[in-house]
Amino acid sequence: MILFVAFFVFALLSSCETKNQTIESSRNGKLKVVATIFPLYDFARQIGGEDADVSLLIPPGTEPHSFDPRPENIIAANRAEIFLYTNNIMEPWANSLLKSLRSPKLLLVEAGKGIPLADEHSEHRFERASHDPHIWLDLEKAQKIADNILENFISKKPAKRELYQSNARKLKETLADLDRKFSAVLKTCKHNTVVHGGHFAFGHLAKRYNLRYVSASGFSPDAEPSPQNLVKMSKILKNEGLKHIFYEELVTPRIAEVIAKETGASLILLHGGHNISKQELDNGTTFISLMERNLENIKVGLQCKQ
Amino acid sequence: MDMLEFLSYGFIQRAIVAGSFIAVLCSVLGVLLVLRRLSLMGDGLAHVTFGSVALGLALKVYPLYVSIPLVMISSVGILKLIERAGIYGDAAIGIVSSLGIAVGVVIASASGGFNVDILSYLFGNILSIGAAEVYISMFLAALVLLTICFYFDEIFSMTFDEEFAKASGINVARINLILAVLTSITVVLTMRLVGIMLTSALLILPAVTAFQIGRGFKHTLFIAAATGVVSVITGIFVSFCINLPAGASIVLINFVLFFVAFALRRCSFFHE
Repeated sequence: MILFVAFFVFALLSSCETKNQTIESSRNGKLKVVATIFPLYDFARQIGGEDADVSLLIPPGTEPHSFDPRPENIIAANRAEIFLYTNNIMEPWANSLLKSLRSPKLLLVEAGKGIPLADEHSEHRFERASHDPHIWLDLEKAQKIADNILENFISKKPAKRELYQSNARKLKETLADLDRKFSAVLKTCKHNTVVHGGHFAFGHLAKRYNLRYVSASGFSPDAEPSPQNLVKMSKILKNEGLKHIFYEELVTPRIAEVIAKETGASLILLHGGHNISKQELDNGTTFISLMERNLENIKVGLQCKQ
Repeated sequence: MDMLEFLSYGFIQRAIVAGSFIAVLCSVLGVLLVLRRLSLMGDGLAHVTFGSVALGLALKVYPLYVSIPLVMISSVGILKLIERAGIYGDAAIGIVSSLGIAVGVVIASASGGFNVDILSYLFGNILSIGAAEVYISMFLAALVLLTICFYFDEIFSMTFDEEFAKASGINVARINLILAVLTSITVVLTMRLVGIMLTSALLILPAVTAFQIGRGFKHTLFIAAATGVVSVITGIFVSFCINLPAGASIVLINFVLFFVAFALRRCSFFHE
């Protein structure tokens, strides 16, 4: 028994040591950044370039709205110099996680600072007065997010100002190009309504490109859709002659499948960008590539000419 | 939009049909569980399912193939804990369910993420029942009802006094095993179809409603099944009329029915 305990303690200590070593090796003067969700992670690693060590707080494949931080996440955040989150509505758990941190060098960055959330176009009865936190899906607001990240990177490490600025400029140019492409393409579509069998995530995108947007449930993917809403969505698909219903990433698209079956429409992915799968993280998917794929899929779904 | 048009939608029809079968299935099984102080069996096994789905995803096996056997083992484990460790059902369920969650969290952290969200994999919605799943619910309901009919006397005497049943020569271990297996399959599959909230509610609420007004075991089973079905059908209609989520409406209707049954019993006490 004593031998067993001794062995257990030894095994535990040695496993901790290896962890410490990996952390030591990352202490090479790079700016250590923890980002809550994928778009922030992607922007931060592009702006930081060679000079930043960015990690994604939420494990790949997990839905961020319902995420529950674990001790390892708190430790990761504690070791970081910059903690990036979107806003209090997107990551309500971020505040409670940050309260437990006592790291004096840590800079908390609300990446969505100064970006209005109100969305007048919402068709949800309960959420009309509420706020849509998915600001990164508006490619103009995404540029503002990049600015916020840049500003804080510079304030933390002024010596690297030029590197960060040039990287951010490149990122913003790509975003602006894509934004123009979205506007140009989405003007040529036969249909104007995005019917989405997921949670209400594309309010900002729809508003930016003058689309009508209908989703199955509210802002949180946990909210249950009402039968009336599903009937309404089926009707819109039928009346407008839409052949595609969009479904959301990572979750099993059961609701979208049901409506697709009801109306004979087929399923097509509309990626909210919240988080990506392990596989996508391994193949180097970027936020831009996700949005490019979204544009291709919207083109198919709304029958755009371009 | 009128009622007839509402009923013409396939997903509404499937919700009503499959929902009713699931209601019968869960309510009847619920009576047996609640009487044996295993009301939270549904919740407990749901947590085990979380762990087993994580395991399935990590091993890249279709999660249901991992979940069903593991949940069966867990529910037998709960019964064994009660029997051997001499603890009450609630604590035994607590042990097994926290173990399930812990294993799930460990696997999820160790594997560094998945390609789908585990929770969405687990929880269905009564409005998203597919055609094949309607048959699953019918088959399950038939299986559970037939088993209960077949072993009715044994189950009856075991539910009220296990020691007495043992003494009168009933193979208690076998019946327990059969019930554990049925409960496991029911919880795993109905959770996939209608979500954990509704599964858990349908295992507990119709049963306690039936205890308020039921006279005798058979009568109680019948009232529980009827309450379950009525709650599902009215819940779906109410959710349509006032534009609310269907699953939550069904749970609320169940509570109303419980309250009415409770009030009825209180009133009849005063009359006597």
